[in-house]
Amino acid sequence: MRKNLMEILCCPVCKGELELTVTEESGEEVLEGTLRCAACSVDYPISEGIPNLLPKTACED
Amino acid sequence: MLPDQVYPPAEDSFLLLRAALAEVRETDRVLEVGTGSGYVAAGLLGRAASVVATDINPHAARCARARGVAAVRTDLFAGVSGPFDLILFNPPYLPTAPDERMDDWLEYALDGGPTGRATIERFIADAGRVLSSFGRILLLVSSLTGLNDVRDLFARAGFVSFVVDEEPIEGERLYVLRGMRDLCRMGA
Repeated sequence: MRKNLMEILCCPVCKGELELTVTEESGEEVLEGTLRCAACSVDYPISEGIPNLLPKTACED
Repeated sequence: MLPDQVYPPAEDSFLLLRAALAEVRETDRVLEVGTGSGYVAAGLLGRAASVVATDINPHAARCARARGVAAVRTDLFAGVSGPFDLILFNPPYLPTAPDERMDDWLEYALDGGPTGRATIERFIADAGRVLSSFGRILLLVSSLTGLNDVRDLFARAGFVSFVVDEEPIEGERLYVLRGMRDLCRMGA
């Protein structure tokens, strides 16, 4: 995901803002990292460039 | 080559892309919900200010990203805030009895619950949260889903809707409904 995608992402539960932490990037593209909802104290992963904003209780692959 | 857990583009996808190309403006921030292979969203790249696509299916999200679309794995628009000027959705619309369910990722792309409208109801109920004031929705529906029932759902959520494109296919008729906020009724 590009960093400017942050503007339109939100916590899937409380709809609050997310905080981006990048662990691997390529230019403007975030490949690995986390999106943290401080209000819910939940981290959502970014993996292979795709943010996963499924609540933890939802079905997993 | 698509993984077998991703809905491959079919007549409904082709119709939705045709309607979207007629609708899209260069300044639009576009969201496609439940993008599947990413075929429709990718067809709008370069025609809009931005194109974002969501899918709950991890295989689908990867397909859409491989087509160059900004992909987010989430349920409908749960993890996005918008606002978007154009929202596209080719929903799971087939009426499906509980004993017909397959319980895999493809089922998400097809299973509309007993009425065919279970996912459409959730979509319409939350669409206003992410749609800009003058934003438009293009929703693919089938005669099997009940066109008038879906238009009623739009009306109850405060949207006006009308058919902008249609196509007969074997055993059903496909429609693209265009929905907008009913601005005359706002504040009434």
